[in-house]
Amino acid sequence: MAGTSLSTARRANLFLKIGIAILAVAFALYPVVWIISASLNPANSLLNLSIIPEPASLANFERLVSDPQYPFPLWIWNSIKVAAITSVLTVFLTALAAYSFSRFRYKGRRTGLLVILLIQLFPNSLAIVSLFLLLQQIGNIPGLSWFGLNTHGGLILIYAGGALGFNTWLMKGFFDSIPKELDEVANIDGATKWQVFWSIILPLARPILVVIGILTFIGTYGEFLIARVILKGTENYTLMVGLFLFNSGRAQEWGVITAASLVGALPAVILFFVTQRLLVSGLSSGAVKG
Amino acid sequence: MPQPPSAPKSSRSSVGGLLLRLLGLAFIDALALLLAYALVGNGLWPAAIALVVVTIAINWIFLDERLYPVRWLSPGLLMMLLMVVYPLLFTVYVALTNYGDGHLLSKEQVVRQFTTQHYQPPDAVVYQTTVYMSADGAFLLVFTDPKTNTRLAGTADEILKPIDATGDLPGALKDSTGKEYSKVEAMKTLRLLDRLTKIPFSDGTNVVQVTGMGKASQRKPAYAFDPATDQLTDNRTGVVYKPVKGTFTAPDGKTLSPGYHVMIGFENYLRVVKDPNIRSPFLRVFVWTFLFAAFSVLLTFVVGLSMAVVLNDKSLPFRGLFRTLIIIPYAIPAIISTLIWRGLLNPNYGQFSGLIKGVFGTSPQWFIDPFWAKAGILLINTWLGYPYMMLICLGALQSIPGDMFEAADIDGAGKWLQFRKLTLPLLLVSIAPLLIGTFAFNFNNFGLIEAYNKGGPPIAGEATPAGQTDILISYTFRLAFGSGAGADYGLASAIALFIFLLVGGLTMLNFRYTRQLEEVT
Amino acid sequence: MPPSSLLSFFKKLTRLLPVAVLATLVAPVFGQAKPDAGKAAAAKEGVLTLWVPKLAVQAVSNAGKDFTAKYGVEVSVQEVSFDSIRDDLKTAAPAGEGPDIIVGAHDWLGELVANGLLEPLDLGDKAAGFDPVSLKAFTYDSKVYGLPYGLEAIALIYNKELVPTPPATWEELKALAKKLQDGGKVDQGYGLHTGPADPYHTYPIFTGFGSYVFKQNPDGTYDPSDLGLDNEGGQEAMRELNSMVKAGLLRQNIGGSDIDSLFVAGKIAMVIDGPWRLPDLRKSGIKYGIAKIPTMKQQPIPFVGAQGFMVSALGKNKEVAKAFLVEFMADDASMKSIYDADPRIPAWLATQKAVTDPDIAAFAASAATGQPMPAIPQMSKVWTDWGKALNLVFQQSEDPAKAIKNAATSIRAQIKP
Repeated sequence: MAGTSLSTARRANLFLKIGIAILAVAFALYPVVWIISASLNPANSLLNLSIIPEPASLANFERLVSDPQYPFPLWIWNSIKVAAITSVLTVFLTALAAYSFSRFRYKGRRTGLLVILLIQLFPNSLAIVSLFLLLQQIGNIPGLSWFGLNTHGGLILIYAGGALGFNTWLMKGFFDSIPKELDEVANIDGATKWQVFWSIILPLARPILVVIGILTFIGTYGEFLIARVILKGTENYTLMVGLFLFNSGRAQEWGVITAASLVGALPAVILFFVTQRLLVSGLSSGAVKG
Repeated sequence: MPQPPSAPKSSRSSVGGLLLRLLGLAFIDALALLLAYALVGNGLWPAAIALVVVTIAINWIFLDERLYPVRWLSPGLLMMLLMVVYPLLFTVYVALTNYGDGHLLSKEQVVRQFTTQHYQPPDAVVYQTTVYMSADGAFLLVFTDPKTNTRLAGTADEILKPIDATGDLPGALKDSTGKEYSKVEAMKTLRLLDRLTKIPFSDGTNVVQVTGMGKASQRKPAYAFDPATDQLTDNRTGVVYKPVKGTFTAPDGKTLSPGYHVMIGFENYLRVVKDPNIRSPFLRVFVWTFLFAAFSVLLTFVVGLSMAVVLNDKSLPFRGLFRTLIIIPYAIPAIISTLIWRGLLNPNYGQFSGLIKGVFGTSPQWFIDPFWAKAGILLINTWLGYPYMMLICLGALQSIPGDMFEAADIDGAGKWLQFRKLTLPLLLVSIAPLLIGTFAFNFNNFGLIEAYNKGGPPIAGEATPAGQTDILISYTFRLAFGSGAGADYGLASAIALFIFLLVGGLTMLNFRYTRQLEEVT
Repeated sequence: MPPSSLLSFFKKLTRLLPVAVLATLVAPVFGQAKPDAGKAAAAKEGVLTLWVPKLAVQAVSNAGKDFTAKYGVEVSVQEVSFDSIRDDLKTAAPAGEGPDIIVGAHDWLGELVANGLLEPLDLGDKAAGFDPVSLKAFTYDSKVYGLPYGLEAIALIYNKELVPTPPATWEELKALAKKLQDGGKVDQGYGLHTGPADPYHTYPIFTGFGSYVFKQNPDGTYDPSDLGLDNEGGQEAMRELNSMVKAGLLRQNIGGSDIDSLFVAGKIAMVIDGPWRLPDLRKSGIKYGIAKIPTMKQQPIPFVGAQGFMVSALGKNKEVAKAFLVEFMADDASMKSIYDADPRIPAWLATQKAVTDPDIAAFAASAATGQPMPAIPQMSKVWTDWGKALNLVFQQSEDPAKAIKNAATSIRAQIKP
């Protein structure tokens, strides 16, 4: 069905798509421009009266690297660490569960899927006190102090509790679309279930692993309510908890907050830029046809 | 239990695998046994039993081949049990208590607070103290009464005895057993204060208590607690306080603060149903909550999906760049974006409102007009939420095999028809649960509503504080938490459970209606 | 099992959870994560732990170092956002994880004392060194629960280029505002939080017309049974706000951060705001002046807030904490260094007398006309309904007198039970 040149209709279609893409970018970035503007304002203003504030300066950004009391780079590193480990863990746990739901048939399978979904509907903002007590107890067990209060390990444990849920459905749906014939062929060749999972299913499911990884990374990176209660001490803070120091009482330092938000958004954006090329169908690239 | 045709062969693992599994289980069992032993030692029988049950379950799952599929689930399930189910049960429990301001501590803590309070009788002797400490950290104190110039000395275990009151105190002293104590420099006693104040020295008739650096006085305990009758007696007045709903209360109704948390049965649940402040605006607020959540899902999904479809096109130049730019809103903290949007929408000064004014000649009252306030919230929420939808759709689109489209192309099906008949149904199978998740998230999207306009504009003439844009969780939490103070966690927990049931019910209805679950194959 | 022990049972229950299993399953994943435990752990016996908000951190840390050198007690100063100190204390202290000392506002007292979280302080001779207003603010149930270091109250802040001499009366302020607006010099002569409304900043207008939240007893305490928001003066204040909106002297949709931005941009000439605005005002380079709030029917009474140190009743080093505060912080050098780091009106009289900053002195003059914001728990029931009444008037959707009467009725109903 290959045409030698793009037909007029196709070209129009392409221009339409470019148009939509540009429009979408404009919609996405319009408020961001004003966040940048706020970050350039040394006098902490959120009501942006002009794009270039009067007076404008990079003072807020300079503070991010030079303030000894507020180690922004460390906070960003902490956030990256927590978010990265959580997303790897989440992707792994989700993949295991999705494999079970997709490849095996057993009693209670549907109920299990439904229960997992229903349980995750519970708003856990009220559960913070119980999570606090839980980590306190875990931390008291000899050898598990890495997962107690005021540790990144404990925070990651809490976040990983949300691994099973909506993600499982999304990944199961993807796994379902990978033909079972592939498994069977491998089985005949003597591969174990684990080998099938590891060397056939996971590589083919790469796009959805990436999506769930990024979703978890960004979600965890920006989490704040739980982290605020669990972490104490400037050197342990994640970026969002650290930023909250600047929203203190009646004086809010919007300039620093917006500047740090922008810089803090970079890791996620860069991560996405790098990994988005993996978002191509693993199925259409010939694997199915063998 | 029926096995899939392909399972039997492969689930029988190699000898090495089995060995590894057994080793792992042995390790887990050993640890669990140790823990259970410690728990029994602490008298925590229910906890020990639960631990044993979970351990047996794990052993069973990993040894019984029929439970092979559950093995794959178990790590995630365990995490969920620990970090989601347990807090959920905790919330159910808290909803049965009066846990909240005024009842934050346990009874044990409150009783200790009262019984460790001492008062100084008017005729009490005030002493100056000199601290001596032994090598093993025991104390011997010398109490000097400057008025009568007499000295008492002794340890915690013996009655204080008078000693020679003339001259300077020596560098070391011995107690009746002959143990030696050396003098602690006055400056260094400060760090010992918390230990010293807890020691009830006795001169035979009175308690002598350290009250500060170098200071002590005769004191009497302010309250006495009798565990048998569960009563607290004020030693100065003789008034007897009995516990009433977690507060020590005198016969004349006078209460002691603080109170402690106790089970109060279904009071909180009944309050959710009965409280006129919660009940009267319920229907109106519920309708808006539902519409807000539903429209948020619809708008973010439509926008996100359209962008995903456009950006999935391989022929689009700079595809990666476009994708990345569009994802940026998702990476910026929602609270910052919301506040910036608030500024942009400001009818007098906002740039976005200015744009609208430029085009239409007038700009909506985004914060005063009920309709436009709701529209403003949905606009912001669409902006905040579409990148999530776009990402999911981009991922899910990859599962639709390309050759399916090729086939459709050959059949001459139009793009739109192709999308409607092929892409959308296939997408929805795996994405529908995430739409439900988004619905549930927005149903409880407290932060956005508070940041936008604190639930306003308010409604004139109604007694409840529920504003036009308030959703269930925002106005009920405002009731449960006052305004940042006077928190009632018990009530808030009951509310959260009600909302949880509501969302869960809606989800089940949705499943039944769309037969989503039946499509799970 | 007796019900009250259930919560502690729940705490203990957590031990049974198969954490050991969990650890063996996920521990390898954490291989690259460094343990952070112990670095800044919460309360420990022998280590004096303080939760301190931003501005005071440096000064308190320095005092802590001196304290360690003198008495050999280790001091750990942890910076916590002012907005989360109170809630975090309520979570951490009952679990035995809280700090020994927190820094906070006096209006937290009612809540924290009712929860049994604060320890009374015996200031001894040092009490005479403090501004009596600050001690009164930190007094609850006739006991002192805090060591104050700063006071704050709102005052009239005006743009000197637009307002050469500050108005002394409310009528003058309105006339000046109208002149400036008519002359096109500013968008608003006077700026007030109108969307969402902020009762705190609007309170001087209420008191200026003779209203009050709770009646103050002769001994300085407040009577929760006497709510005065809807008295004659309160209704008049509401009518005044209403007529100002109608006359265009108050604009709708102006939130707190909007006012800040507009004043700095020269689009608002006068606001009533507090000393926390000083850093931004100074950075912006605008020429501003600070004066007493103009008189309405009587001299307005702004809320006075006090900030200070409080000792946790559940801390592990209560006595050391008290000694640290009374012997060490209540001292010329410590108070001066806190003032230098966090310039509020000093509560320590010696530091207060030595203040040379005219801005702080001007705010102090305004604070002298004020009364401490009530710290009684009933105060928390006031804000929501009061704010709603103001919003209704700013949005012109309710009769002003009726709005405040409805609000007061609702507040009384919540205070009663």
